[in-house]
Amino acid sequence: MDGSTGSIETDGVVFDGCDTLPKLFRKRYVEEADKIAMREKHLGIWRSITWREYGETAKDIGLGLMSMGLQRGETVSILSETNKEWMFADLGAIGAGATSSGIYTTDSAKQLEYVVRDSETGFLFVENEEQLDKYLQVRDNVPSLRKVIIMDLEGLRDFTDPIAMTWDELIETGRRYGAEHPAAWDDRIDGSSQDDTAILVYTSGTTGPPKGAMISNKNVIFQMGTARTMLEFHEGDNQLAFLPLCHIAERGFSMFLSMAYKTVVNFAESPETFAENVREVSPHVFFAVPRVWEKFYSGFTIQIRDATAIGKTMYSWAIEIGKRIAEHKIRGTEPSAKDRMLYRLADLLVLRNVKTMIGLGKTRWAATGAAPISPDLIRWYMALGINMLEVYGQTENTGVATANTLIDFKVGTIGKAMSDTEVKISERGEILIKGDHVFKGYFNNPEKTAETVIDGWLHTGDVGSVDSEGYFKITDRIKDIIITAGGKNITPSEMENQLKFSPYIADAVIIGDKRKFLSCLVMIDEDNVVKFAQDSDVPFSNYASLCRSSKVQELISTEISKVNKDFARVEQIKAFRLIEQVLTPEDEELTPTMKLKRNLVGQKYKELIDSMYQAA
Amino acid sequence: MIENLLSVRNIETYYGPIMALRGVSLDVPKGQIVTVLGANGAGKTTILKTVSGVMDPQKGSVTFEDNQIQGSDPDWVARQGIAHVPEGREVFPLLTVRENLSMGAFARTERGGIGADLEMVFDYFPILQERADQQAGYLSGGQQQMLAIARALMARPRLMLLDEPSLGLSPILVKEIFDIIRRLNKEQGVTMLLVEQNANMALQIAGYGYVLELGRIVMDDACHRLLESEDIKEFYLGVKKDAVRGRKRWRRKKTWR
Repeated sequence: MDGSTGSIETDGVVFDGCDTLPKLFRKRYVEEADKIAMREKHLGIWRSITWREYGETAKDIGLGLMSMGLQRGETVSILSETNKEWMFADLGAIGAGATSSGIYTTDSAKQLEYVVRDSETGFLFVENEEQLDKYLQVRDNVPSLRKVIIMDLEGLRDFTDPIAMTWDELIETGRRYGAEHPAAWDDRIDGSSQDDTAILVYTSGTTGPPKGAMISNKNVIFQMGTARTMLEFHEGDNQLAFLPLCHIAERGFSMFLSMAYKTVVNFAESPETFAENVREVSPHVFFAVPRVWEKFYSGFTIQIRDATAIGKTMYSWAIEIGKRIAEHKIRGTEPSAKDRMLYRLADLLVLRNVKTMIGLGKTRWAATGAAPISPDLIRWYMALGINMLEVYGQTENTGVATANTLIDFKVGTIGKAMSDTEVKISERGEILIKGDHVFKGYFNNPEKTAETVIDGWLHTGDVGSVDSEGYFKITDRIKDIIITAGGKNITPSEMENQLKFSPYIADAVIIGDKRKFLSCLVMIDEDNVVKFAQDSDVPFSNYASLCRSSKVQELISTEISKVNKDFARVEQIKAFRLIEQVLTPEDEELTPTMKLKRNLVGQKYKELIDSMYQAA
Repeated sequence: MIENLLSVRNIETYYGPIMALRGVSLDVPKGQIVTVLGANGAGKTTILKTVSGVMDPQKGSVTFEDNQIQGSDPDWVARQGIAHVPEGREVFPLLTVRENLSMGAFARTERGGIGADLEMVFDYFPILQERADQQAGYLSGGQQQMLAIARALMARPRLMLLDEPSLGLSPILVKEIFDIIRRLNKEQGVTMLLVEQNANMALQIAGYGYVLELGRIVMDDACHRLLESEDIKEFYLGVKKDAVRGRKRWRRKKTWR
């Protein structure tokens, strides 16, 4: 089977007349100087930042680093939550010819040590006291580090250390250096080339230690251009940045694409205020991981249960009409005039309010990716009237390789190959990708690189298929495929996605490799299960006792039975256990995007898993 | 099996539109001291007020000795054997110490026992005997706290609800008050539900503890195990490990495990 599509241009990759990220950045801050580039909430008020401020600050940062001897190609690392300083530091470093690498704030001191050593970081930005302390714990093990720049000084006024410097000091130094060397910054930008590694992205690494994927200027510029064919951006569109910028998805959407298409990035304040920030910003275009879309949906579903009888009736009436219209859209057929009229009414009376309540009132399209999503969830958003586009890609191909678009889409698939991208299925069913967005390789790791990119084809590690129209579908990660003791091959993610569609299940991991039957570990959605417990008078004191209560066990059991109905007999989940601890991204079992890591879960909860098989 | 003198199940209590308790369940076994820890505004006082009938829950049940008492009038609850020692003592300032103590026995009918109990109370709190005929308003804060506890004792309660007895007292007085609470529990067999911000003292004398945050219980365990919990140490006991810089101001995220 060979489903290759698209073609490769050979005459270089250019976007808006620029062939590297720093050149495009300079073009933006010069030409768009007075336009708004981003907004950040400061003391409760959204404050705008212009392209001029964005450019000048990044420039001062870059010059400051250069004054301390930053060489072209050296690595600068950023350990911070997603905020404007992150972007300033990132583009300052890249502009100065360095490679910028993001580090997750949820990483431990040991993980920080690993990433700093592996990436040969010379300069490290730390957000605040908490992150600084991580560095200080391992400072003796990272001698290559020359300077640590502290972004937020709160609580550190009295702190002095020869290796540390403050954000303001760096900017001051940069300004002075720029006055003495007026051409230095532009020289670095002019000297940037397509083959430079612009960013280093450490992959979350569910197996083995994380590897640094080298993304070049060419990769980024190419990705900016191909996005035009799949997504529709308008200048000044609002978007929300809230996922870690270290992740390729947020970096691509909030930094690269917003720069390319001149949209405005609004930074969410914190995970706690995320829902509120969505409503305040009311984004025009919105990328999020499935977890977020699941959360909106389950939050709303639970809320509607407390609505008045009229409210409930109205909602089910409206969403039914919405679903009918969505089905027409999905199949490409025309709804009847009556349905169209009813839909307009449903939208006016109900659906519009639902969207506004979530904060999606102005959203033209939304995109989901970075993890599998249940098709039913996409249908729900489509019924509300939101174009929900599933995209697919990896860090190693700079984010996106296939996408559903506003014109070409098929629910339950990851869409067609993007323009100038070749995608095909290998003999063993693996999805392979070729194009100018395929990365340069893993930093200092030629063996892994050679295993991953063969003859220019990126081996994704995902098993999938392609239909006659060119829509691709992912079955699962190759290494996640379960072979039961009976020899049956099972791809767990489809079942897991259906489970996660339940408002009470935050995440689930199917187990069954070399086992007699399938079982699963469930992480409950705390808010919704607590609400269920309260509504049905289930006494509990803490999270563990909540999980153990028989009514909650029954609830989850019912939810699992619902999913079982959709699957064949050999694919039935016969046992389950709840994870009785609240997990946070600091826990090794979760990725920074709150996905359970299959391998770690398998090891960490081995006893719990074994208990399911002993009991049976 | 341990007999629970008081069982609270799924109570939700509101102040107008504000939900102060978002589903709280807890047990107080007979003869024990159980403590509820929590920051300002967590809902600790609301639990006590809901138990004693000062506030009524919108939902959930309060069971005292096999009777459901939620929503009952406070005076009726008091007659059942639950004495509430409110936060900030609330003694009658213009009455004498002796009169205050008599007020504690107001609901009692057997005259004989009252005199004996007065002797017992003076035994625990000799200072009250010295000041028996002074107006309660002139007592020091610590003495007023003693009087409030003594007044509650005069009702011969089987369950005493203590709302922050350490509030505003010097460390020595706090120790003294807690010693007496411990003795009353041991010697008089009074079961106690103790609400405290002084987590260290409370965990020393109580057998079992609940941690309340924003109207919901986030953790519960035997007190000796709570004392070992990293979260309790950092957030309630102020124990800080030496950080790399010698002092650490930021806090790690709470996990309650």
